Amino acid sequence: MKTLLRNRKALVGLAIIATIAILAIAAPLLTEYNPATRTGRPHQAPSMDHILGTTRIGQDVFARVLYGARTSLMVGFGAGLLITLVGTVLGIVAGYRGGKTDEVISFFTNMVLVVPNLPLLLVLAAFIGQASPVVIALILGATSWAWGARVTRAETLSVKQKDFVKSAEMMGERQWRIMAFEIFPNVISIVGINFIGSVIFAIITQATLEFLGLGDPRAISWGNMLFAAQKASALSVGAWWEILTPCFALAFLGIGMSLLNFAVDEIANPRLRTGNRLGRWSLLVRNGEGRL
Amino acid sequence: MNQPLLSVKNLTIDYIGDETDFRAVDNVSFDVAPGEVFGLAGESGCGKSTIAFAISRLHRPPALIRTGSEILLDSREVLDLNPQELAAFRWREVAMVFQSAMNSLNPVLRVEAQFYDVLKTHLGMTKAQARERTAEMLKLVDINPDRMRDYPHQFSGGMRQRIVIAICLALGPKMVVMDEPTTALDVVVQREILQRINELRKKLGFSVLFITHDLGLMVQFCDRIGIMLGGKLVEQNTAQAIYRTPQHDYTKKLWASFPSLHGGVLA
Amino acid sequence: MAFLFRRLAFYLAAFLAAATINFFLPRLMPGDPIQLMFSSAGAELPPESLEALKLTFGFVDGPLWQQYLTYLGSIFTGDLGRSIKYFPLPVTSVLGHALIWTLVLMGTATIISFILGTWLGVMAAWKRGSRFDVIVSVSAIFATSVPAVVTSLIVLFVFGFTLDWFPNGYAADPSLDPAFTLQYISSVAYHGVLPMVTLCTVLIGGFTVTMRNNMINLLGEDYIVMARAKGLSDRRVMLWYAARNALLPTVSSLAIAIGTILGGSLVTEVVFNYPGLGNVLYQAILARDYPVIQGQLLIMTATMLVANFIVDVSYVLLDPRLKAA
Ligand SMILES: Nc1ncnc2c1ncn2[C@@H]1O[C@H](COP(=O)(O)OP(=O)(O)OP(=O)(O)O)[C@@H](O)[C@H]1O
Ligand SMILES: [Mg+2]
Repeated sequence: MKTLLRNRKALVGLAIIATIAILAIAAPLLTEYNPATRTGRPHQAPSMDHILGTTRIGQDVFARVLYGARTSLMVGFGAGLLITLVGTVLGIVAGYRGGKTDEVISFFTNMVLVVPNLPLLLVLAAFIGQASPVVIALILGATSWAWGARVTRAETLSVKQKDFVKSAEMMGERQWRIMAFEIFPNVISIVGINFIGSVIFAIITQATLEFLGLGDPRAISWGNMLFAAQKASALSVGAWWEILTPCFALAFLGIGMSLLNFAVDEIANPRLRTGNRLGRWSLLVRNGEGRL
Repeated sequence: MNQPLLSVKNLTIDYIGDETDFRAVDNVSFDVAPGEVFGLAGESGCGKSTIAFAISRLHRPPALIRTGSEILLDSREVLDLNPQELAAFRWREVAMVFQSAMNSLNPVLRVEAQFYDVLKTHLGMTKAQARERTAEMLKLVDINPDRMRDYPHQFSGGMRQRIVIAICLALGPKMVVMDEPTTALDVVVQREILQRINELRKKLGFSVLFITHDLGLMVQFCDRIGIMLGGKLVEQNTAQAIYRTPQHDYTKKLWASFPSLHGGVLA
Repeated sequence: MAFLFRRLAFYLAAFLAAATINFFLPRLMPGDPIQLMFSSAGAELPPESLEALKLTFGFVDGPLWQQYLTYLGSIFTGDLGRSIKYFPLPVTSVLGHALIWTLVLMGTATIISFILGTWLGVMAAWKRGSRFDVIVSVSAIFATSVPAVVTSLIVLFVFGFTLDWFPNGYAADPSLDPAFTLQYISSVAYHGVLPMVTLCTVLIGGFTVTMRNNMINLLGEDYIVMARAKGLSDRRVMLWYAARNALLPTVSSLAIAIGTILGGSLVTEVVFNYPGLGNVLYQAILARDYPVIQGQLLIMTATMLVANFIVDVSYVLLDPRLKAA
């Protein structure tokens, strides 16, 4: 955690996410408007009354983007947690138990990996009908764990060889206890990477599904804002605020999460770290203090 | 001693860190005469490979060779070579067997290709000429030349090591740097390889900078030995003197940790 | 060879899995599956067509396994039913026509961004820590982290609406007849620019980052150091030793990325009103045209499997260690 806070990318990423989270929590303090109801004339350009303008049916865009952040964050982190949970459990069990269990889990993992994710989600969501954010989070959790399971399994295979696992086995420790207390803490960095990646994936996918019209249109979320704007041909009629606002919100959150992702990658793989060293090195060379 | 082939003077190398630097090699000086085998011994992490890399200027950032260091080969300052001169100098004058020679062949290129790129770059050989030379070099290290079209993974570890040695000698370099060329090999193969290197050295007349932490092996193989401790060269002398009358406490301690030294000097 | 056969068998199983999902999904939903799947057609569907559709999707009298076999039978004879929105067009022809556009768009974008991204990654890793590296890495992060929907909409807004440099939709000028004429082809190219730029932006960052990381990991390898010690030129070491080997893991990550690429291109097509699968699908979703929605899963899965197989083959060709196995 400390190394995380010393990494510049991680700091910026965390700051972005924290900002969005605070805005989402403080939404009622920041706007007087109800995001769900009509509060002005349709397609009003940004003004003092409506800082980011209004939608085709006269809802306040600023209020919608603030309250929408709640949905995006909750689905993102909720589904991310679910995806990571399933992937980690399957990965550790497959890697640790080996044999038949491993064969079965690995077979399913590989299978899920080659069935394209978005088309599969589209079919599921289409049959479920207007999927609420919670349902979206659930189906994401059910279908998107394969990558995490694969990398966790690989990591478990190498941890399994370590002495402390062997000695726990010798002492007759129960299998689930070994997996939970010996293996899990040692694959935690992979789990972390998996979690951040899953959150990013969940946020993007939720927005995509809703944009394609598979979400519950009553939910207030960034994906639904895009869907409504697209249906109202917001760009053609010049109501750019209706479309660009959720766009920038999503981009902002995506960038924050990705910065965090790259930082964790660098921490897990020191070879990728650039850090201060290279800057100091160039300086010394420029000052004639050494060369290669 | 007459004119040395390699002369390292006041070599100081740092690894630049985020806040502080790590001095891996601290003011090291030594000479290697033509045809001589000079050994560098010392515990793991004392800076041996760092010196070896510096001789062919293979370091990358964050390594930094401090100003004031000198590396002369045949009285020419290696550190002043420009990129073209450096490219011509590498392998032609100083070739190198790496610590993990087994992994220093490119896994996706045929052995033949890994000879060819050296021979073409430095001698401008055609494919046919290179093939002939490759066959010759492989025979030198007891590898069937018919196998030059195989990939590295098709050879055993010891064979790969011998292939690297053959590539090293392909241009007839003045000096070969061997960074623990035989670690990871069993004792019999290890002996065989060293014996072979020694024969070749006598035949071809190159010098060797031999690096290991196995003092016993070193005494058998080297003419002179330098002992390193924490980046400093604490003692250098003839192999016999290092063996019989070690001066520095650290050298004595190293010997003490060696229960017995068997076998005489290599023929 | 054995390796490739094993992969083929596995792909067949994966395709079967997708078909199985299609089969069970309507049957698992509450309510009458037949009602659910074909109700959006309303009364417009002639009764004999409804019967034919029911047969295709395995709604026959009999136990579940018999229904399942009936459904698999229709799939493997290439019968995916008829579209309800575009009745009486068969799903295969609705999707097949769209698939060509998608493959052209997606294929070109993948090739361009793979080559460009790989090259950028190689250069950035080689010049580690330089300004070039910093700029490339940071832009790659930004490009990968923005969802395809957002990138498409922003590109459309800036270049399509505000600057008005390129058309805002369709694959070609609708007044032209599709034919192999210079006029038609250049119209296709002109209309393709924005979706192509969008897709490349979405994809390139991932390739760059993967290649950069692989290269950096490789540059510490002994055979790279040895290649430098051999006096080979930087260019040769970089391309012939480092990049070539770093390409292997990049190619295998391409296999996994294909799903993402597909997803990205679906969304892009919707935004640009491009007549590919994405758009057909979007219309199908709005109309709850289930035969088309189910058909796309099969066709996309098949596309993905073929692409994976191509990656497998090229992997075997690139890595001598696999060829022997
Ligand atoms: N890239 C690097 N960055 C920072 N420190 C390094 C780097 N490479 C080596 N070092 C440090 O420099 C010191 C010398 O390393 P070197 O590889 O020269 O040791 P060595 O004597 O060859 O050891 P061994 O016998 O284990 O091969 C070590 O303490 C090592 O930690
Ligand atoms: Mg070493």
